[in-house]
Amino acid sequence: MGFAMESVKHYYGKMVDLMDNIGATIGIYLSNPLELSEFYTFIVRWIFPVLAVLIFFRCTLPLLRDRGYNQIWGYLDTKNGYRIPLKHWENSIGRSKLSDIVINLPFISRSHAVLSYGEKGWIVTDLGSKGGIKINGEMLEKSGVVQSGDTVSFAGADFLFVSAEEGHEIIEIENKLHRIINFFSTFRYRKTFLMILIFQLLGGLQIYFASLGEGVSGSIPIPIGLFILVECIYFFLLSRFSQKYLELELLIFFLCGLNLFIVAAVYPGQLMKQTIAIILGIIVYAMIQFIIKDVGRGRKLKYILVFCALILILLNLTVGESRFGAKNWIDLGFITFQPMEFVKVAFVLAGTATLDKLLTTRNLTAFIGFSGICIGALIIMRDLGTSVIFFTAFLVIAFMRSGDIRTIALISSGAALGAFAVITFLPYVASRFEAWGNVWEYADTIGYQQTRTMIAAASGGFLGVGGGKGYLVGIPAADTDLVFGILCEEWGLIIALTAVMSIIFLSFLVMFLMKGCKSSFYAISACGAASIYMIQTALNVLGSLDILPLTGVTLPFLSNGGSSMVVCWALLAFIKAADERQRPALLDGDEEDEIEEDEINVTAEQSSRGKYEDEDYDYKDEDDEERAVLLR
Amino acid sequence: MKILTKRAYALLGLSVLLIAGIFVFIIKYINNASDWVQHPTNKHLFINGQLQTTGKIFDRKGETLLQTVEGVHKYHSDLTVRKAVMHAIGDSYGNIVTSAQVAFGDRLSGWNLVNGAYRFNAQRYKPGSDMTLTLDAEVCAEAYKAMNGRKGAVGVYNYKTGEIICMVSTPTFDPENRPDIMGNPDKYEGVYINRLLSAAYTPGSVFKLVTAEAAIETIQEIDSRTFECRGEKIIDGDRVTCPTSHGNITFKQALANSCNVAFAEIALEIGSSTLQKYADKAGFNSSYKVDGISTFVGKADISDAEGGELAWAGIGQYSNTANPMNFMTYVGAIANDGVRVSPTIIKNHNGISSLLSGLVSKGDRVIAKETAAILEMMMRNNTIEVYGERNFEGLELCAKSGTAEVGGGLTPHAWFAGYMDRDDCPLAFVVIVENGGSGSKVAGSVAGKVLRKAVDRILIE
Repeated sequence: MGFAMESVKHYYGKMVDLMDNIGATIGIYLSNPLELSEFYTFIVRWIFPVLAVLIFFRCTLPLLRDRGYNQIWGYLDTKNGYRIPLKHWENSIGRSKLSDIVINLPFISRSHAVLSYGEKGWIVTDLGSKGGIKINGEMLEKSGVVQSGDTVSFAGADFLFVSAEEGHEIIEIENKLHRIINFFSTFRYRKTFLMILIFQLLGGLQIYFASLGEGVSGSIPIPIGLFILVECIYFFLLSRFSQKYLELELLIFFLCGLNLFIVAAVYPGQLMKQTIAIILGIIVYAMIQFIIKDVGRGRKLKYILVFCALILILLNLTVGESRFGAKNWIDLGFITFQPMEFVKVAFVLAGTATLDKLLTTRNLTAFIGFSGICIGALIIMRDLGTSVIFFTAFLVIAFMRSGDIRTIALISSGAALGAFAVITFLPYVASRFEAWGNVWEYADTIGYQQTRTMIAAASGGFLGVGGGKGYLVGIPAADTDLVFGILCEEWGLIIALTAVMSIIFLSFLVMFLMKGCKSSFYAISACGAASIYMIQTALNVLGSLDILPLTGVTLPFLSNGGSSMVVCWALLAFIKAADERQRPALLDGDEEDEIEEDEINVTAEQSSRGKYEDEDYDYKDEDDEERAVLLR
Repeated sequence: MKILTKRAYALLGLSVLLIAGIFVFIIKYINNASDWVQHPTNKHLFINGQLQTTGKIFDRKGETLLQTVEGVHKYHSDLTVRKAVMHAIGDSYGNIVTSAQVAFGDRLSGWNLVNGAYRFNAQRYKPGSDMTLTLDAEVCAEAYKAMNGRKGAVGVYNYKTGEIICMVSTPTFDPENRPDIMGNPDKYEGVYINRLLSAAYTPGSVFKLVTAEAAIETIQEIDSRTFECRGEKIIDGDRVTCPTSHGNITFKQALANSCNVAFAEIALEIGSSTLQKYADKAGFNSSYKVDGISTFVGKADISDAEGGELAWAGIGQYSNTANPMNFMTYVGAIANDGVRVSPTIIKNHNGISSLLSGLVSKGDRVIAKETAAILEMMMRNNTIEVYGERNFEGLELCAKSGTAEVGGGLTPHAWFAGYMDRDDCPLAFVVIVENGGSGSKVAGSVAGKVLRKAVDRILIE
């Protein structure tokens, strides 16, 4: 009680103090000549974090709304009238629970066959089963074409194969999150886009005002305006001509906007170059998406890109130039770029394989060879950070390919030994590790960048001091290695974390899309791309904050750098390609309230149908003996 | 595709690691951002290495002790006050690590987690970042004058509320006109250290309070015992001496006359492990916090002491050291019926911290109430019988002096610690004068001057 009284007294006293102080405060505010831009920052620094968080949720939640409508590409009919739908271009068949089509009969092998659709039509491939495969009674050697109406017999279990017309029927993949996420599904992407535009216009103004006194402000409006224009055109085209979800691109546009603000604060003169890099990135993104729409074309692209990558590596090793201690630049006179960035695209593609290859050969020799060349070249170039990126991506892809934890563990421990040797024998690497964890002891030498990043991050608080008003921009490599610090300082911790979470979201999206992928080609490339984003983000953000050693890699979509930006967009194409889903048509509407009602009805209908169908082919998901008997 | 869905968990593992790393950062950020931001290279808050405070520091009477005018630090107008409170306020270059400028720099600079270092319109003054300290500039000045150029420390605090009224450490300097410190290493020996908070001295006889506490609780009928002092006693070959032979004396007289022989016997009777326990309870071997500023640890490693060593430990001359601030709060606990109130130096806590300090218990019991009463009676007796009531007239002084031998042929350190048993002025104090000589005469006279000033100042509040 006494304490309560004390508190009341205390706060009353504070109130009185505050009243007294208001007059003084106003006087003090006006003692400096009041600038309009100061007022602007004072207000918008509260708006930015709110907008950023809203944009983040409006972009991510709709993408997790449904697991997608799998198209049915064909059926396997049993004699007693059951239809098993073929939901992918590549379907594994076997007794194992991990097969796409589980046939729980004792004489079927665990991984029996793969039924895949390609240029030559449907092909069934034997995975070395004991019982073998017969098509229309003829024993199959290794693989063979099946046509609609053929009888396919897996070790004596007969099925009638019926191919469906493309997109004949769609079924929804069940989604446990559905109910929760459905609540947010009414987010209209147009409104989300509008928010992004508002964020970027207000942010652009903030940066422009902040630069007024420095004589560089002239170079700011045009590139940012150009970027917003391109963004609008892209959005217009896609919302008219594409049925896919748009939120992925919107999220990346948001990140690219932040990227331009960072570049404007550090090197206003490079803003135009960076905007052009973003535009190039978008073009590459669209092109790769178009090419890999067809898996056959994608495979050809893989060989071409791997060949180009080898040439790039060779060029880099011969005519490369050193910057910041790593020999990873090529200067062509009119343009300079980092070849190893582009090799990342080829690297991800090199790891892909279709399911039949994946399950038959299990041969990783070619991929291991290519990875060895890339990583070896990077070590020669002294680009430690990028070699870690390649190695981690290699581990993820190799695991996707082989599923063999023991081999991966073996490779990792080998690499750990190698890394230890490298750290011990190369002094320039060792010095980085010396600073790791003790940067404050070396605050002005080897811990310089990290301590300045932390000081800047702390100075920004949750809301930031305002775009273009930070001091971290004067530190070497602030625009690439320390961008997280710039974001924290100028735009605040909330926006910085939102940006990082946006990148992390990409890997959750990929996980979410896995089940609905048509082909393992898309599944593996999407995972490879996402793992490159993850490891780069970890090395960059955590490195600049002394949680990991500082290695000097770029932060995807946020660091200054043309090569990096284009490649990030190129990798995004692999993630986009894994997303087969179409956005619900009702989202195109403008008036939210009216549609909401309809939507609830539609959803109810869909879910009831989904439920019915689930029951319908439950037999293949469960090893229920009764049902197995039924099959016979 | 099912098989790939399973294998894609490798990717999930990678992103979970990344998220874990981000969490580590967030936790570090919440805990340490206020330290990071105070790096002198931070251009948001420092100009030429000087913290650009947006708040002023006041003493409890509203005297301005520090403000930033046009980017330059302005301290109190009076030179004596400036020197007296230098260790509490700090110099402009962050040399005094326990000073308000360093310890509360985040608040003084207007920094907070939400707004960071943002300053609207390059604002130079935010009323919200003002700080009022519990110090009284005049009492501090009086203490500085009473120290009269000798090295040492003076502390006075309210043992009921914990408010520190006086915190002075000498040598000191004028922060507005920095002297040549490097050129006078003797004069400015350890000048950047606040001796009250960050030093530890051999306690000498003031440690007898701890021994007495242990004796009251562990030796039956100690107050009716008499001890025979012949001026010296040999214990296991070690010679314990008194300045004069005290003859047959009671426990009470032994404390008043600070009889080494009697206390050596008492210590032997208590035993090393019990004495160790009481020393720990009295605050030795621990660091306490004054509004987040850690005090230096005073050491008492008695548990292995035997014979002569234990006897020396009981009279405060073994390897023990005492931190003046911690010892002052021990004496304060005796005054406050055995409850130790944590000292504080901030008078106007801001929102959250005032709420927290309200919730946290006001003090811990470190001495049994009955024991504290007996000790109080004995300490009062010390003043009346030995230190001279007329030297401390009206102060109701309960105290213990200490003359700590430092060896090397140097004059001993003079200690004087105690409190006023007055409800209107519940103040405890500690005075240490390095190489000052007699505890009660030298340190006692400093304490008398400071306390009289403090009473005047407190009573006009």
